[in-house]
Amino acid sequence: MTIAGLGPHGERAAPPERVNLLPEDIAAAKSATLRVAIVLHTLNSDWTRLQISGMLGTFGDCGVVATEVVDCGFSADRQVAELDRLITAAPDAIVALPVANEQVVAAFRRVSAAGIRLVLLENVPTGLLPGSHYTSLVSSDNFGLGMMAAAGLAPHLAQDAVVGVLGFAADFFATNEREIAFTNWMQANRRDVRTHVKRFGAMDEAADLALRMVADHPDIAGFFVVWDTPAIAVASRLQSAGHASLMATVDLGEDVAIALSAGRPFVSVAAQQPFQQGVAAARTTILTLLGRTVPAWVAMPGVSVTRNNVADSFQTIWRKPAPREALRLLGLAP
Amino acid sequence: MPLSAAATAESTRLRGKGRPRTSETAAPSLVEILNLIRSERATTRQALERESELGRAVVADRLQLLSELGLVDESELGLATGGRAPRLVRFSARRGLVLVSTLDQTAIGVGVSDLSGNLLTEHHEAADLTAPASHLAGRLSALFAWCLERHATPTTPWGISLSVPGTVPAGRDGFFMTATPPVLPVWEDFPLVETLTRQFGVPVWIRSSVETMTMGELHAGAGQGLRSMLFVKVGRRIGAGIVCDGQLYRGAQGAAGLIGALPVVSDGVTGTLDMMAGSDMIQREGRAAAEDGRSPVLADLLRRGSEITPIEVSQAAQIGDAAAASILSRSGHLIGQVVATLANALNPEMIVLSGTLVQTNDNILAGIREAVYGASHPLVTRDLRIIRSQMGSSAGLVGASRVASEALFAPAFLKDWILQGKPTLHPDFVDFRAHAEKAGGPSSAIAPPSGQERSAP
Repeated sequence: MTIAGLGPHGERAAPPERVNLLPEDIAAAKSATLRVAIVLHTLNSDWTRLQISGMLGTFGDCGVVATEVVDCGFSADRQVAELDRLITAAPDAIVALPVANEQVVAAFRRVSAAGIRLVLLENVPTGLLPGSHYTSLVSSDNFGLGMMAAAGLAPHLAQDAVVGVLGFAADFFATNEREIAFTNWMQANRRDVRTHVKRFGAMDEAADLALRMVADHPDIAGFFVVWDTPAIAVASRLQSAGHASLMATVDLGEDVAIALSAGRPFVSVAAQQPFQQGVAAARTTILTLLGRTVPAWVAMPGVSVTRNNVADSFQTIWRKPAPREALRLLGLAP
Repeated sequence: MPLSAAATAESTRLRGKGRPRTSETAAPSLVEILNLIRSERATTRQALERESELGRAVVADRLQLLSELGLVDESELGLATGGRAPRLVRFSARRGLVLVSTLDQTAIGVGVSDLSGNLLTEHHEAADLTAPASHLAGRLSALFAWCLERHATPTTPWGISLSVPGTVPAGRDGFFMTATPPVLPVWEDFPLVETLTRQFGVPVWIRSSVETMTMGELHAGAGQGLRSMLFVKVGRRIGAGIVCDGQLYRGAQGAAGLIGALPVVSDGVTGTLDMMAGSDMIQREGRAAAEDGRSPVLADLLRRGSEITPIEVSQAAQIGDAAAASILSRSGHLIGQVVATLANALNPEMIVLSGTLVQTNDNILAGIREAVYGASHPLVTRDLRIIRSQMGSSAGLVGASRVASEALFAPAFLKDWILQGKPTLHPDFVDFRAHAEKAGGPSSAIAPPSGQERSAP
């Protein structure tokens, strides 16, 4: 396993194996009556559902009770309110994905000051330090995902091609890393390729932004969008407008899996492993509650997916068969 | 517009024949007032009059000019103490940005901060500092450009400050760097300072990582408000940052605090402090303790397939592993002996220990404390506090930003740009930039971001 990126404070990644549970850990957790709360940006995505599944299963195996799973609806205000409420409820630990940076940092400091162990997913608001404010960050190797998407798109690009990059306007560790890594890979490995970067604030802005980019730069031959849901919207609008851009993105949602199976415009997807990430987050939480040592940053490697391996990769990542339509397009089902 | 603001302020005053121009007479008081506000020694007009010993009219006039230049803000009200609530005078820290970077042998960190040293964003990635300097300069430029786009505001950068893994010779430069110091062999003959100046159109400062971390700790960490402080960074190498009279002491050559080169003796073996107490020793001894079973925790980690790094040794010691604790205590004692000598020479108010190992482990801290308290004059240790840094790896970036802001607002430099509104119009810098651009061919300055779009380099 190779992790390409560094943590939010320059930490070196620890592999998920570093937080494996031994039988004595599980026995100790079962006898400790531990309670945790999970606070996520949304509950309405495949990625979240699988993360929760990985966490809840692991917690359950170890006798740890998840008292609640909170949906923040992408709202910083709501996350702050929920965290303040949870301080009163006083679980032993909170596993949380911070939805913003400056707006939520004070609330996370309050959780930590209240003596509740904090394990973060994907993002660390600027100013929070491992060991002082939170125990560990568990995330994908987002830098590696950006590089993977670039490496997958590059063979499909002609000499001197132009690529549009659609990043996320919010100052968010995961999407920042993907965007930087994509352009860095192109700069290092395809110096002939030029990139134009724009960032969307809300998911429904991405498609409009892409249309404006192709209007300004009609020679754009491909797009990299930092996650799959806006990428699907971008591809659909561009196709409706008669623009045949290649697409690369991060996360293998069902729609992207079907689009990738069709051949074009999606040619490269760098997939996270949300189930395994959920397992690693739960294990990290249990170990820290047992007083064991845990690394500041546990990172999960990504999976590079193309049309050639989309069916089996989908199974690996989502723990279920690839969508029927994808299998049909691949000629693997009637 | 800064220039017109200065001109307006000047034109409103009557000037007799032969009287000095307002720009000549106003600059010293503007500098004094701005630095009182910036350092928060005065936050109201009354406090400014008291601290500066200037009259009410002069303070009002200078504040108006500073406000027109965008350097101060008086929109906030303070707490009333009987009458009307006073208007607070605040430094406009977002008037300019500072691009900061920490470079070490295997990683590069970049960030953007405001003029008070508050980090607005940071990013770290792997890098090879032994690669050709042109590669490093290219990557640094691309990341700085990205940082500026991330904060797509009309605010422009005012300076670049770099933290590097080696001693930066002192005394060769004036207000800002005009040549690239030979910190690393691969930097020989590569004009990094000139390249960055040309590309971003701002002055550049470079300091060693120990110096920037010391600055970070002094201004944003445990050392805030202290006049004397000793900062000790423990890693593969061990170095000290010295603060005297509230200022970082750099020494004649910028080589103050290289304590890792001092000889120490442990178990009859003599070696440098770096060799005998640094993280290489901890890793080597930890691995040996795991393999021969002296350390059950490290042996267990080895059984789980983990690599034994100094972090694992530190974590094992933290949960009570005797062998790991002994390795770290030995390191702490050796470091403490050397630090005690420095403490007796300097009599600091505080010793701040930094580095991943010290920040995650109590044994090194305890070893250092024991050695310092045991080997120091009672007066030296009477009120001495020995603590570990709470700033983590961000200290280098924050400190680099403070290096830049201290230099930007140093009275000798400030007095010649304050009426222009920004430091890039300082006459010396205008000359140096012209020289750098001439030396580098046609100008390739990176324009301040006007939107979010750019072409990647």
